[in-house]
Amino acid sequence: MSNLNEENNILRDTVREFCEKNLDEKKIEEEKIDNNINSLLASQGFMGAKISSKYGGSELDDISYHIILEEFSKYSPSIAMKIFMINSLYLPSVINTEYESYLQDVSSGKMNVSVDFMNNKYKLEYGNNINGTVENILNTDSENIVLFDGKTTIVNGPFKTREKDFMGFKGLKFGSIELNNKYNVIDKNSRKEKIMEDSYNDLSAIALGIISGAVDKAMDYSRVRTVFGAYLKNYEPLVFRLSEMYSKENILRSILYSNLDKYYTFNFAMNSIVEIARFSVNTHGGYGYFKDFGVEKFYRDAIILKSVFYGNSELKQLSNHVYSEKLTFI
Amino acid sequence: MFEEYDDYRKQIREFGLKEFTDEVAAKYDRGEEYPDYLRKKSLSLGIVDMQNPAKILIAIEELCRIDAGLGISVTTPYFGAEVLMLFGNDKQKEFLNDVYSGKYVLGLGVTEASGGSDVAHIKTTATKKGDKYILNGSKMFITNGAIADYLVVLARTSDEDKPHHGLSTFLLNTKLNGFKANKLTGKLGVRATNTAELTFDNIELSSEDLIGEEGKGFYYIMTFFNISRIYVAAQGLGIAEGAFDKILEYVKANEIKDENTMFEIADVATRIEATKELTYNAASYLFKFEPRPQLTSMAKAYAGETAVYASEKAMEILGANSLEENVERIFRNAKIMEIWEGTSEVEKLVISRFILKGE
Repeated sequence: MSNLNEENNILRDTVREFCEKNLDEKKIEEEKIDNNINSLLASQGFMGAKISSKYGGSELDDISYHIILEEFSKYSPSIAMKIFMINSLYLPSVINTEYESYLQDVSSGKMNVSVDFMNNKYKLEYGNNINGTVENILNTDSENIVLFDGKTTIVNGPFKTREKDFMGFKGLKFGSIELNNKYNVIDKNSRKEKIMEDSYNDLSAIALGIISGAVDKAMDYSRVRTVFGAYLKNYEPLVFRLSEMYSKENILRSILYSNLDKYYTFNFAMNSIVEIARFSVNTHGGYGYFKDFGVEKFYRDAIILKSVFYGNSELKQLSNHVYSEKLTFI
Repeated sequence: MFEEYDDYRKQIREFGLKEFTDEVAAKYDRGEEYPDYLRKKSLSLGIVDMQNPAKILIAIEELCRIDAGLGISVTTPYFGAEVLMLFGNDKQKEFLNDVYSGKYVLGLGVTEASGGSDVAHIKTTATKKGDKYILNGSKMFITNGAIADYLVVLARTSDEDKPHHGLSTFLLNTKLNGFKANKLTGKLGVRATNTAELTFDNIELSSEDLIGEEGKGFYYIMTFFNISRIYVAAQGLGIAEGAFDKILEYVKANEIKDENTMFEIADVATRIEATKELTYNAASYLFKFEPRPQLTSMAKAYAGETAVYASEKAMEILGANSLEENVERIFRNAKIMEIWEGTSEVEKLVISRFILKGE
């Protein structure tokens, strides 16, 4: 990767070593990210990767941040999603507001926070308190949460939550929050659209980690698994496709770290991720369908990432960018 | 095709909608528990009629359309029955009545850890000792493995130059000493179905347990797969239709009218229609006893891919709303369609070999 320097490579090795030494990805999926993991991530500066050093953050540049997201995602997409929510969603939501100081406790791992990026329609009532239910929230065990109900609002916990099973990013608690809480409007406008658009490269880094993890697992398996008396790596259709996917992985890495164009990169990442994660499951045959092999989680997380973050709105943004004008569709 | 079964289809759908509620489907999915009461209920109501393959096909399609985990659970207690029906002795054929009545659950033990689709290279042995066979070995990913009363098992009875020779099938009573089933958990989908790893430790089988002739097991199992794959195609078709139902429901309820979504709907609908034609066409030959394995494999492979395609589209079109369990469960259930009963890759080999042979 020509765009990465020695320092970047050291960071990559550090994150890998951290994951291997400190994290059990299967345990994270089963038992969720706990306070110990939060503290550990915070102590190494991962939790506050992009947060200013005045709040105890690491204040990393984009390339370093993306390396962190990619490497964590490759090991545990849930951890990457947690870091993403703090640095790509929460940080720009509270920056330059009176709540900016919360970032001190966030980067130190003392405060768990969430940003609702899934809901488009709210039925909330605003009085002295905010009232109503917000469905499908990741990180329900948060002390405060940012909502985008036409405006940008921060709501302080504790929250009455109802946990639900969630297919993706299983390391994070998921469910609904019943609100009857104090709130403050941070911005009379919703910051959501800009925040999401600004996070394209960050999401692409998470996608790259998932893709890389899925491709690695499939290639490793093809080297050791025999069927019909030959290694899987000796079968043309399988290896041709795996090689194509490996190529896509490297193209994505290259365009991401060269900061080519966030719209193109994001589009490429989202159009590759599900296909590659799915084929990795295929390569593992029946074993791929079981969690023990650690490959089906990539498929689950891939479809969630694509379904939640990439749709008609993002395609419109891409088209506007390509045409250099705000298009009107019939 | 199969219009004569429209009333039956309606009856099946009514049963499925009544019994396979979201709550029931979620419960058995989460708990990875086999819904035995639904098996018994479907039998008592005559829902699954093993004497009529067209009815089985329709039942599988319609039930999987509502929930594949429960649908497959209800329609697989007879898994492997065709081997006995076609090649078993009179006593074994008679035994099938107890399977159809629900007294016994049946399963098929072919796949081994060393190679899922590579049937010819199985390592389980049944060594002849006097008038008995001693069964040793293990099986992997066996549907009904931990709940079956009997299993149709493939084992090597002699070493031959060609690996697919020297294999034989047996009817194994799972109560026999030396049988052990370890239920496998942590599946991505179809979690209501029972899947197990089996071990056979010096199990004594009598010569009466042999199905058909010794050494013809590979042929019997391949014949079985040529039949059973049409039912897997029906599973895939049902899952795809179920995913499409969710798409339509969502698009209509939210009055979504953008052209991109309209194109997606058209694509999913077209693939489902093609799957249906392929599946019913292959089934019509099979049910006339004129099987065309390449058509069956085409149907199975395409239906599996369509199930995955439609379920992914449902997730994408519904976006964050897809997180409701009944949609994400469809997505998780769909993936196995490309894997079990011969992966899509194996099906493609079957298709091309038959075409090149000019059959």
